[in-house]
Amino acid sequence: MSTAAHARFVPGDRVRVAQREVTGHVRTPGYIRGKRGVVERICGAFRNPEQLAYGVWDGPVVPLYRIRFAQADVWPAAESALDTLDVEIYEHWLERDDA
Amino acid sequence: MSAEAGSRDFEALEAAFREALIAAGVVRDDEVAERVELIYSRTPALGARVVARAWFDPAFKARLLADGSAAVRELGIEVGTLKLVVVANEERAHNLVVCTLCSCYPRMLLGLPPDWYKSIAYRSRAVREPRAVLAEFGVSLPPDVAVRVHDSTADMRYLVLPLRPKGTEHLDEAACAALVTRDAMIGVAIPAAPTSASSAP
Amino acid sequence: MVHDVGGRPAHEAIPREQHPFMPWEMRVDALMWLLTDAGRPGGPRMTVDELRRGIESLPADEYRTLGYYEKWLLSMLRVLGERGTIDAEAIRRRAEAIAHERGHAHE
Repeated sequence: MSTAAHARFVPGDRVRVAQREVTGHVRTPGYIRGKRGVVERICGAFRNPEQLAYGVWDGPVVPLYRIRFAQADVWPAAESALDTLDVEIYEHWLERDDA
Repeated sequence: MSAEAGSRDFEALEAAFREALIAAGVVRDDEVAERVELIYSRTPALGARVVARAWFDPAFKARLLADGSAAVRELGIEVGTLKLVVVANEERAHNLVVCTLCSCYPRMLLGLPPDWYKSIAYRSRAVREPRAVLAEFGVSLPPDVAVRVHDSTADMRYLVLPLRPKGTEHLDEAACAALVTRDAMIGVAIPAAPTSASSAP
Repeated sequence: MVHDVGGRPAHEAIPREQHPFMPWEMRVDALMWLLTDAGRPGGPRMTVDELRRGIESLPADEYRTLGYYEKWLLSMLRVLGERGTIDAEAIRRRAEAIAHERGHAHE
């Protein structure tokens, strides 16, 4: 696991998952795109699965984060205001949320 | 892929595939058999050892939560490239693990995932209605307990560290490990102390 | 895409039956482990990401109905066939011959 010395975000940062439609292999689930959350931790930096899935095995590593979302911010009818959902998202899918 | 997939003999297809890989010098027959044995050797008892150690050793628990793979290696459990994140249940928080995109699972610690974990029903519902899913598994949480769902979308794999059940103060570490089930380490079960009427959990 | 199921409306109960793992399924799993192992001579022959991509490219009805290791096997054939490591069509023909031989063996 590589260090993430050039990670753009730190734990506590408010971020938003990009709203992007893509064809091909991605590891950002559709349900979380466009949603706002908080960086829970930096997991490290890993090769991009969007490249690894197509025979490109020597691409650059990308910082990977666990982002914590309030369930109430993800679903129209969340079961509880207390509940959270943590999802691993690669840096190139994240934008700073200044709202 | 083809339309006759439904009628295809996959057992024959695996045999032909393996034959071709061996002929191409990519794998050897004995390697395949060896890896099958390794697959069977990984069972939830490994994860249960980790949980019980965390119950008995708070410093180990802290290291486990900080770097799951490193802490597990302290116990002599070889986990290869596993990048483990351990999520601890608390009095007011219950964790649940899912992989919505496929079926990522900490196999080196728990063995093979159950069919239900890989089902479209679990993968679609666990992120959206975890309390209903838990209820289906017989777990009912008070309203003041938060549910934290973890979607294993990338390189990390997750293990739930359940709370040590009340009524186990007299048990040693091995006896406590025997109470920890695979389902408790995924988050769809809560370990229970053995009842006085039973001699074994 | 068909595999991206998180949050899709699904009011069905979670199926709890566990099928016994067949030896051929365990061999598929073992082969995948070997093929992705960076520590073996010759290095990895495919990645788990390629396995996932191959599974995700299955037709939707196959994705939903095929067994877990059936999808793995089809994906591995596709990815390694693309790479030229194996001849997927030759393997399919050989599989039919094996299945035929097994059928006759039971007569």
